[in-house]
Amino acid sequence: MSLIKLQGITKAYQLGKTQVPALKGIDLAVERGEFAVVMGPSGSGKTTLLNIIGLLDRADAGSYLLDGEELAGRDFNEMAGLRNKKIGFIFQSFNLIPVLNVIENIEFPCLLRREDKKLLRARVERVAEHVGLSHVLAHKPDELSGGQRQRVAIARALVTEPEIVLADEPTANLDSATSEQILDLMQRLNADSGVTFLFSTHDPRVMRRAKRVVQIADGRLVDGQDAAAANVAVLGAPPH
Amino acid sequence: MPALLAIATRNVFRNRRRTFITAAALVVGIFAVVSIRGVLNGLQGAIIASTVKGMTGGFQVHRAGYLANVLSPPLTLDFALDDPSLAGLAKLPGVTAVAPRIMFGGSLSVPKEKEEDTPEPLFFMATAVDPTLEPQVCPDRAGLMSAGSRFDEAHLLVGEAMLGTLDAKLGDEAVLLAPDRDGALNGELSHVGGALKSVMPGELKVAQVPLAAAQRLLRMEGRATELAVAVKDLAQVPSLVAQARALLGPTYEVHAWDDVATDRRTFMQRQNAISALVSVVFLLLMLLGVANTMLMSVLERTREVGTMMAVGVTRAQVLLLFLLEALSLGVVGVAGGLALGTTFVAALGAKGLTVTPPSATVALTLYPSSSPAFLVVVAALALLGCAVFSLYPALRASRLRPVEALAGR
Repeated sequence: MSLIKLQGITKAYQLGKTQVPALKGIDLAVERGEFAVVMGPSGSGKTTLLNIIGLLDRADAGSYLLDGEELAGRDFNEMAGLRNKKIGFIFQSFNLIPVLNVIENIEFPCLLRREDKKLLRARVERVAEHVGLSHVLAHKPDELSGGQRQRVAIARALVTEPEIVLADEPTANLDSATSEQILDLMQRLNADSGVTFLFSTHDPRVMRRAKRVVQIADGRLVDGQDAAAANVAVLGAPPH
Repeated sequence: MPALLAIATRNVFRNRRRTFITAAALVVGIFAVVSIRGVLNGLQGAIIASTVKGMTGGFQVHRAGYLANVLSPPLTLDFALDDPSLAGLAKLPGVTAVAPRIMFGGSLSVPKEKEEDTPEPLFFMATAVDPTLEPQVCPDRAGLMSAGSRFDEAHLLVGEAMLGTLDAKLGDEAVLLAPDRDGALNGELSHVGGALKSVMPGELKVAQVPLAAAQRLLRMEGRATELAVAVKDLAQVPSLVAQARALLGPTYEVHAWDDVATDRRTFMQRQNAISALVSVVFLLLMLLGVANTMLMSVLERTREVGTMMAVGVTRAQVLLLFLLEALSLGVVGVAGGLALGTTFVAALGAKGLTVTPPSATVALTLYPSSSPAFLVVVAALALLGCAVFSLYPALRASRLRPVEALAGR
């Protein structure tokens, strides 16, 4: 059973009196353990697709099964609960809570589900160590570098042990060296613990590492292709 | 909840300048409300003390139906002072003294050597009191006498304004004319003993006459229309009134001091109403500041709300977060205002504040004080107001769609 199965997903936005279609019938399946990229030009609908998969937005029509469970028609609180339990987010601008320190930012989603703080703290410290943040646990976000902030976001996304981590342009605000480190980290987490990653990106470095690239253009998926073919199509042949 | 509370309290201090300004407005507003009420408590305490110790006593006894006719004191509703049913009154536990009185209206003239020099007689309202017993019930009456005055069986006191109009001086003969209980006009010769100062506005044409002289004038020897009763503790008055009613039966009526001095009660009720109105205006102005601060906070933190929603915060939790922020801000401001206000009031109360009301000639010394119940009500209303006034910004934040909030829209 696919972790995520979308069928006939459509979404349109109202811009003044005009309806602008963003997704025009998306069919997509994401399997467990994938390290996949959704790519496409600006305005192609990739962020809208990720928002719908992440339950941050609702589709106008279509079916969305997450872990075999139909999510269409769920109310806001149910969707909030599902986001908390099953989905981790990594954002382009890191989106940490400024008044919380590193460890508090990481444990925040778990506290929402009333986990025991003492038991949780041990797990949070383990995750923080795993992403290389052990030495900055008491720091506030504004005392961290961009790479460190994104590591906090990754740790926050992983600490709830989600089914899938959605990363929207996770390297867009990072320099090359830091981007590579962050991608190394995510790839290692995918390989070690089998967490499913789905990216939306323009970054060729991300696409090079993806096992699968899903192309979207004008609100529709371009015919499925494997990562190697897509990489060649998008990036050209890798150097020998 | 603890996580949201931690975020809420830390957010309060995130924009220190804005928090300082809003909290300062709360502090100033609460300080003003507490101070105004504290001074008013002192003023009303002084009014009550001057009323009870200078005019009414703790409670009064009259013949049934007397107070209903109080605009023209009916001499026919009198009673014999040796009525056996009155004997038990002084023995009630908590009663310290009983003094008989007669309230009556009449005219007073102070004749001069030449008839043409004699001013027109003045009409007045008189209180006839026993010069020996009255000070035991109303010790402050002595303070209403101007310097050098005397009040005894042969001397009466008149209001300061009357004294001037009658061109009278200490020791002058004074002729009292008044209708007795049968309506026949009688006269009595007395002497001017001095002037009565005025405590409250409107106390101009008044006189204090020795009881025996009034009894002769009104043909009421051995009788009175009023018994003023002094009590140890004003808090006991309601219970003593009930006991006195049970003791005296339906022939008599018993009224607490504030049922007798209804003008003063009304005056204090008006003061309370005005002070409440002023407090509400202060409170509303402060709370508008809180609402503005919270709205700014929501607008600035839209993306942050989106992030919280993305990790699983529910709409109710977003609402709670902003309400907790407003309450944290309120707690800071209210605590500061209460501390400052009660300290100020306590300092005034320790020193005392001497004021002379307009049209009065007796200065009152006020001892401002804060009532714990009032402080609790003010704090509760201010905090409740903080929650209510931040409801709109909080609801606005909680109704954001995650995708729009994350985009900062």
